[in-house]
Amino acid sequence: MSAALDQKPDYSTYPQIDRAAARVAAQQLLGLAGDGPAAPDAVWQEVERFYAREARLLDAERYDDWYALLADDLFYWMPLIENRFRRDKRPALSPDHMALFDETKADIALRIGRLATGLVWTEDPPTRHVYVIGNVEVFTTPVAGEYEAHSTFIQYRNRSEHDDATLIGRRRDILRRDGAGLLIVRRLILLPQSVLLTKNLSVFF
Amino acid sequence: MQHDIVARPGKAADYVNSASGTVDRRIFWDPDIYQQELKNVFYRSWLFVAHESQVEKPGDFVTTYMGEDSVIVTRGDDQAINVFLNSCPHRGNRVCFADSGQSRSFVCNYHGWAFGLEGALKKMPKMGLYKASPGFRMEDWGLRGARVASYKGLVFATFDETAPSLDAWLGDFRWYLDAVLDVEEGGSEFLAGGATRSVINCNWKFPADNFVGDIYHALWTHLGGAEPTLGRHGGVKVENEGSYHVSVNGHGWEFNDSFFGNAATMGDRELLRYMRSRQTAITERLGKFRTDMWGAVSSATIFPNFSFLPGYFTFRTFQPKGPTRTEIHAWTLVPKTMPDDIKDRFRRGSMRTFSPSGILEMDDGENWEHSTRANAGFVTRHQNLCYSMAPGGLSDDPALPGIVHEGQLSDANQRLFYRRWAEMMDAPSWDDIGLAPITRSQAEAAE
Repeated sequence: MSAALDQKPDYSTYPQIDRAAARVAAQQLLGLAGDGPAAPDAVWQEVERFYAREARLLDAERYDDWYALLADDLFYWMPLIENRFRRDKRPALSPDHMALFDETKADIALRIGRLATGLVWTEDPPTRHVYVIGNVEVFTTPVAGEYEAHSTFIQYRNRSEHDDATLIGRRRDILRRDGAGLLIVRRLILLPQSVLLTKNLSVFF
Repeated sequence: MQHDIVARPGKAADYVNSASGTVDRRIFWDPDIYQQELKNVFYRSWLFVAHESQVEKPGDFVTTYMGEDSVIVTRGDDQAINVFLNSCPHRGNRVCFADSGQSRSFVCNYHGWAFGLEGALKKMPKMGLYKASPGFRMEDWGLRGARVASYKGLVFATFDETAPSLDAWLGDFRWYLDAVLDVEEGGSEFLAGGATRSVINCNWKFPADNFVGDIYHALWTHLGGAEPTLGRHGGVKVENEGSYHVSVNGHGWEFNDSFFGNAATMGDRELLRYMRSRQTAITERLGKFRTDMWGAVSSATIFPNFSFLPGYFTFRTFQPKGPTRTEIHAWTLVPKTMPDDIKDRFRRGSMRTFSPSGILEMDDGENWEHSTRANAGFVTRHQNLCYSMAPGGLSDDPALPGIVHEGQLSDANQRLFYRRWAEMMDAPSWDDIGLAPITRSQAEAAE
């Protein structure tokens, strides 16, 4: 992602989906209830391995390698959570509401581009990350070669001396078979905190 | 007990020298000063509580904070907006735990006391017990209400009965506020979905000070954050030609005349195209000077803790949660008549730049946390902080109300922010606090 000074990337030309497609993707993610047929154990094992590698790449700040795991039609979404009464009739999550991430692949490229500038003082010295993924469940979908995967995560960060943050949440993914590997096509990240109990989300999920 | 080598001043004014530009580091963490701020700054000020669009219909409510006091903001059946304490007068429990919603009443979870949309006590289980209790009157035990007033969609409140009107408090700052609040016919709204909230371990004054006048930090702090969108266009550009610091009653706005300089860092050409398409119409409405402010390289704070960024249109409160802890609550404001697609682009653009995941906001937090923490060092605390930057003089342009300094790279607004802070901290009452005379006639705020 890092580029020579005379050849700076124009992220608006990077792969992205339009807003209508993003809304469809968001509705698809909201509908993933984990009720479908379980994927074969071999696929489940493959997804476990995929997530472990993904976590290791992020821990090691290997963002370009992680970026290669994203499909060109990626929709990556962390909606904002509000405290609402159970009787509240409004949909809990909406693609048109404020979010913490609401990204296409081009937006992820832009974020990685920021980190690659060498000018982000709040990541220097670097933050140390540990990513733990668990409760992995994989289901088949009506689309051949696409799987519905549910997982939980613990994302621990520590930097400087006393500065740390632990974020725990759930993910819902659509993963697509791509040759010998898998790609992330959709990702919904559900963080239970209504007030983010740390100062930023300088991290990928 | 006096622990410092340099004795603690008896007056807040002695912590701040707004003429030479020094600020005592102790004001950023001292618990006694913080308690005095809750009393003399937050209690006395008109504080932002909601946008009218968040409580559009009778029964709509949001909860927020005034200082450290939790409050409920409702729209009553008479269409008036009410603000009252979110604490049951029976045992003190919070009566509403939702951030927003629709309700006819607020019922305390503890004993079931129920309050109406105006905060009055309506009923409780076994009311007969109270009817049989000598001296008990329902009307004595409502949720304490605040004074409420709005300016062009922004709702403010204060519990201080002696405070002057919101119009007097905002004064001529309203003339500048129209550059973001009144750009289009039909007014403004907050985008749906609630406030983005996050915690920063810093004193509330650091972010307020940053927004009131500190564009200087952008040239260094945000080098990395601005690079992906502005790098191809030469990076962050800020100059003192054609730019200003304006201050009214401690409120401050630093800006240049770039029209969409801030907006450009969101990296969405469609947005800039749209803004350009509105430039002529907005100029007819507001004149060229304020139209150039709409999305310019700029930031502003309405004293004490309500700030916004033109261009991204993020509006945010820096809620005090103790001397070294602050919560940012942020919303995005757009003209109501803006096309839905453009509103959505602002939603994502402001999220991607100024939210806890924003490529620019993520650069800021650590600075404020470590400024707060380091200032408490025993030796460290005895050296004043430097607010010396004053390269531009006062502007003599009669068209611009308020205290106007030439050049946006300056500490002018910050000094005036701390001067107002010290004045309120030391004043025995509102009679001892000066407000600038109003020179521009505006649509009056409704109380």
